Amino acid sequence: MNRNFPNSVPETGLNDQAHTAFDTTAARARAEHPEDTFAGASGVLFEQAMAQTRMAICLCDPHQSDVPIVFANKAFRQLTGYDDHEIVGRNCRFLQGPRSDRGTLDRIRKAIAEEDVLVVEVMNYRKDGTAFWNALHLGPIYDADGKLVYILGSQWDVSDVRAARADERHARDLARELSHRMKNMFAVIGGIVNFTGRVRGIETEAREINERIQALGRAYETTLDDSHRGTVEVGQAIRAVLAPYDPDGTRIRFEGNGLRSDFASVSVLGLSLHELAVNALKHGALSSNDGHISVAWRRNGAADGPAICIDWTEHGSLPGAPAMGSGSDGIVDRMLNMARGGIVREWDSDGLKAKLNIPLRDHAE
Amino acid sequence: MTGILPSTGEPCRVLVLDDEPLILLDLEFAVEDAGCKPLTALDLVEALAIVQNNAISAAILDVSLGQGQTCEQVARTLAGMGIPYVLHTGDLDRMDEAVRSLGGTLVPKPTPAAVVVARALEPLAIRLD
Repeated sequence: MNRNFPNSVPETGLNDQAHTAFDTTAARARAEHPEDTFAGASGVLFEQAMAQTRMAICLCDPHQSDVPIVFANKAFRQLTGYDDHEIVGRNCRFLQGPRSDRGTLDRIRKAIAEEDVLVVEVMNYRKDGTAFWNALHLGPIYDADGKLVYILGSQWDVSDVRAARADERHARDLARELSHRMKNMFAVIGGIVNFTGRVRGIETEAREINERIQALGRAYETTLDDSHRGTVEVGQAIRAVLAPYDPDGTRIRFEGNGLRSDFASVSVLGLSLHELAVNALKHGALSSNDGHISVAWRRNGAADGPAICIDWTEHGSLPGAPAMGSGSDGIVDRMLNMARGGIVREWDSDGLKAKLNIPLRDHAE
Repeated sequence: MTGILPSTGEPCRVLVLDDEPLILLDLEFAVEDAGCKPLTALDLVEALAIVQNNAISAAILDVSLGQGQTCEQVARTLAGMGIPYVLHTGDLDRMDEAVRSLGGTLVPKPTPAAVVVARALEPLAIRLD
């Protein structure tokens, strides 16, 4: 854009490079409306800003019939692909096309007619026919006497933003649908186990199986929000697994940070904690009126063999027969051992204190 | 238990609506186990027919019935008749505001069938006591 710039520009010591970037259309608009000429340095800066900003800007004359554009800056030409002579003198509607929303266009017309400020996103079209989402900001410009002189429109291409927003929404919808289906699937599995147990006369066994399956379901449920990460927040899974054993949220206390682990470790951890909670309900802290449990999780420091460590501490258990709480079939021990972890139990007058650990797999931070 | 109507000495009738037959089967057993008579519906049409032709004491309604259908119409009818119901759903977040505003008890899926039934019968226990 090496156009000549009129000599009437006040001398402000600007270098030539800045001058060559000046927009002659701004000068022409000013020449046609000499009464609006900005005086001194601020006028030059204004023209430079208009020419150099990447924000597309146009001015329309509300006093001419059909409110034609009287000025468009370089960014406007770049955004729309039209040359200056194809822009000036025309109403802005040449940017509209088949997918421009009628309701939005009505709002634009109304705002112009009523001299309102309006910010909308509208589908517009370039000269080559390609569509783009235009974040259009328009509003009236008044002179010093309060007389309407221009309608200013600024345009910004927000197609990328819209696409990113749509992607995000799509991912969220997908995660929710997945969560819904998974809950339904676990409900169906639960139903099958239940009625099989009932018709076979093994309701107790069926219930035990079902409780384990549902605990697994709750542990996995928390993974859906993070499905793209491949890891699970351990604390969320622990809370979800134990939630049904503390409906009022007063009996189990959770202490831990945002430690993450892989799915496989979380399923073993979830099931182990479920078994401990069932035992606490039968024999431990949850069987007494004011007993409670604290569950603390942390990453073990060893750099060569990082592990998730969980302290399960029961308080206020009823006295007597504490060893009953170990779980008669040893399933917790077997699950944790199979995952190359383990459990150590101790009892004191307050109840069971168990320490669980399970290796933290690589890449899980 | 709460399963017998004091007025007639007959078991309470409980409407169970779910588009998944296996869940329906499980709930049917659980309603029987609670001493009530289950009336099962796989879709809206069946459910509305049951409500019209039977004296229902309580209902368990799956919220989303597939193909974009919800149990709203059944819930609205029951609410109008003063019949208590629970909304049994795997998706509390997405649940239609219209359904939620009707005021049924929310029971998230999955919940053991016996617990779902117990929640459904809770208002009867209060009423009959």
